[in-house]
Amino acid sequence: MTEPIIEIIDLRKSFGDHEVLCGISMKVMPKEVVAIIGPSGSGKSTLLRCMNLLNEPNGGKIIFLGHDITDKDIDINAVRTQMNMVFQSFNLFMHLTAKRNISLALMKVKKMKKHEAEELAMQTLDKVGLSDKADAYPGELSGGQQQRVAIARALAMEPKVILFDEPTSALDPELIGEVLDVMKALALSGMTMVVVTHEMGFAREMADQVIFMDQGVIAEQGTAEQIFVNPQNPRTKTFLKRILKEVGALDPGIPSDFVPNGENGQDNP
Amino acid sequence: MVMTIDWGIIPEYFDFFIQGLQLTLLIAVISIIIGFFGGILVGMGRISRNRIIYGISTVYVEAFRGTPLLVQIFLVYFGLPQLGIVIASPLVSGLIALSLNSAAYQAEIFRGGVQSISKGQMEAARSLGLTYNQSLFTVVIPQAIRNALPPYTNEFITMIKDSSLLLAIGVFELTLQGKLISATTGQSIPVLIFVAVLYFVLTFSTSRIMKVVEKKFAIPGMMGSD
Repeated sequence: MTEPIIEIIDLRKSFGDHEVLCGISMKVMPKEVVAIIGPSGSGKSTLLRCMNLLNEPNGGKIIFLGHDITDKDIDINAVRTQMNMVFQSFNLFMHLTAKRNISLALMKVKKMKKHEAEELAMQTLDKVGLSDKADAYPGELSGGQQQRVAIARALAMEPKVILFDEPTSALDPELIGEVLDVMKALALSGMTMVVVTHEMGFAREMADQVIFMDQGVIAEQGTAEQIFVNPQNPRTKTFLKRILKEVGALDPGIPSDFVPNGENGQDNP
Repeated sequence: MVMTIDWGIIPEYFDFFIQGLQLTLLIAVISIIIGFFGGILVGMGRISRNRIIYGISTVYVEAFRGTPLLVQIFLVYFGLPQLGIVIASPLVSGLIALSLNSAAYQAEIFRGGVQSISKGQMEAARSLGLTYNQSLFTVVIPQAIRNALPPYTNEFITMIKDSSLLLAIGVFELTLQGKLISATTGQSIPVLIFVAVLYFVLTFSTSRIMKVVEKKFAIPGMMGSD
């Protein structure tokens, strides 16, 4: 049987008195795309940021490739080279060109020679369709282009898994598509991805596993089909109904009249 | 007694003015450079997560910022020998005092620069596997110092002017030279005005040079770049 890449056991995280994660358990299998959805404040970004210890959990375990990374003795830098993150606000290094954004960690962490690192950076930029922007600074790129460079930056490290923290939420609507296309190509290439997203179309189309979070717990999880077509938890239904009303019309992945089943007691034919 | 103003003493004593100017420039450059690196060191302490290092650097900054520079100069010049630490010359004592003082101010400038960089930059670097120090030195500090160039310029100009306080311990920098020339000739107005003009040449050149530096290091696509 295949081992999960990430296994989370009873993860807890509080900020002060406020408990954000109240005992989360989940698994991420190799080559799987896991979409984490849920209302804002439900703890989904915190969960993602706990996975690579950007936020330190207060309790529970995170088993990554067989090692509990919440253990104090673990070399977190070594873990992070294999578990990269793409941020909502891109977080490209503003003082470096697109190419050097990618080559920096290759040189500093992977100890590659400058020309090797830059060659790999160019190849990776080519994968996200931005080789012509290699010498542009982040401030000279559109949001969508910046996020594609950020994805390339993560990809070039050849990680075991990439965490996406609402990668399209800061983008103008017309720029979301180009980023989602890159993410889809990445998923199809077999990259393991954990994606916190409001893009229900992407989640429905690409996710092998969808996790619906609400108030710090996993309220429901299952395949995309189960969550989107046949949600069981009333909270999931309410959330999907609301978000689809807001974005459904804009999201090409979802028919605008799509309503999660079971809302009016009707069964899906 | 009223004396006529005689501008002729300026060419007459020109070499003395220039000697003073050179010493002032030397003092300013040395204490700015030591203060810059000292400021990074103390500033790192000010953003340190280690409570002891943070505490020491905070006390340092508050002490030097909260007391008169002249008192600090006197303490180094008159105080250290009393502790058995003999310093060869008033110039060296003065340089020590100015550098220590400037390091405190530049530490705060540095800290402000670092804190102006969004937390996401550090997080992105860390999540690629860079260590805290690697992230700080390759990602945060290069941007922080660029952002802090305008306040650095201010501090450099302040140092040029404050170096005049070293006259109090007998360093023959520009102000003391001027004072001597005016005492010798009785021509206070032309001498002091010329001294002021020479300081202005230094400070104005500094601000021009720093403008060029700002332009050269401006990040394309960001505020302040073309």
